[in-house]
Amino acid sequence: MRLTFIFLIIILFSGKAFSQKKVEQEKRIKKQDVPEIALDWLQDSFEGRKKVRWYQEISDQGLSFEAKFLWSGKFHSVEFDSLGKIEDVEIEIQQKEIGSETESNILSFLSTEYSEFRIERIQKQYSGDEDDLEEFFEEGEINSLTVRYEIEYIAKTASGNQTFWEGLFDQKGKIISKREIEIRIMDNLIF
Amino acid sequence: MGKGTFFFLISFLIAFSSLAQDQVFFTGFFPEAAITKKLSNGNKVNFKVENQEIIFRNFENPEDRWQFRHYRTDLMAFYDWKLSPLSSMALGLFYRVQDGSNAYRIIQQFATLDRFRRFRIGHRFRLDQTFIPNDAVEYRFRYRLAMDIPLRGDEVDPGENYLVISSEPIFGLQEKEFGLENRFVVTLGKLINPQQKIEYSVDYRTDGFFQEGFRTRLWAKIGYFYNF
Repeated sequence: MRLTFIFLIIILFSGKAFSQKKVEQEKRIKKQDVPEIALDWLQDSFEGRKKVRWYQEISDQGLSFEAKFLWSGKFHSVEFDSLGKIEDVEIEIQQKEIGSETESNILSFLSTEYSEFRIERIQKQYSGDEDDLEEFFEEGEINSLTVRYEIEYIAKTASGNQTFWEGLFDQKGKIISKREIEIRIMDNLIF
Repeated sequence: MGKGTFFFLISFLIAFSSLAQDQVFFTGFFPEAAITKKLSNGNKVNFKVENQEIIFRNFENPEDRWQFRHYRTDLMAFYDWKLSPLSSMALGLFYRVQDGSNAYRIIQQFATLDRFRRFRIGHRFRLDQTFIPNDAVEYRFRYRLAMDIPLRGDEVDPGENYLVISSEPIFGLQEKEFGLENRFVVTLGKLINPQQKIEYSVDYRTDGFFQEGFRTRLWAKIGYFYNF
């Protein structure tokens, strides 16, 4: 019984004892909480029936909105700024869809940097002016858009340590930036 | 935990306790706490304490009241080797404090995580050997499948709740006697901040399928997890 009591005390105070860090947050929102222009842009660019899930994101760069949906069999994610202006469209693709020259550049970067790697997820990212983006998704004109690849991969460094990364590559497959992805601790699932 | 959740747990306990009169049944309160330290090489050290307090009553005698007493306390320590960002292997030592039946256990396990867009699935494979003085060694194999679902958005951010639903069949062997147990757990958790979690669970355990006396145990759990 005494142990139980100690547990309860620990639990009661645990939430208050440690200060919170700067919160980055993502939450599901309803369609009516999304800025009108974002809804309009999405309706014009992807005309037709689709089930869209809307999210609001708060990061150190501020507030943004994100629409996630399946479109012609591919997973799409469209990001809008706080006012509802389109920022970019990300489409999940397979490795073979990258294009051979770009793919070989990406693979040669990964194989020089790491002794072993495994690609987990690839997203092709389109950004640019809102009209150009709309035109692209309606008519397929790519003229003035910026194309990038966001790739999640697990890699082993020379020291033998395996880590999870997100790398951003340009249209030719040249690395722009990378950051380590923190997997939320799963102590409750392991022990 | 909201008031609603609390009443839900209590009514669940009461409902089950009246259902299971002719079989062996007991229920109780099961607080647990775990501390996990991440080492610089990516490996982890974990300490865990589980405490089981049972509530029981002799149904044969209607005069008898509900009783509440300490049943057992389990202490565990693990060393966990990181195999990849999503999988690990661990060795554990376990000591049980229970009236007349203190026990030692050694544990070997492999755990891996599958990530999906809106949830995660954790697999845990465990072998353990339990040593009870003056008793035969018990060997067990356990497999736990746990689904971890964020309740706000696709990721659990600090301050947000999540749901974990898990099932764990346990195969046991002790002196040619084969045993099977299953543990079904529904958990409502809250990520207080990146270091801390609190979880409220209903843990429903069934065993004695092959032996006489099908046994069910139902626990109201409360767990605290701290990692640094």
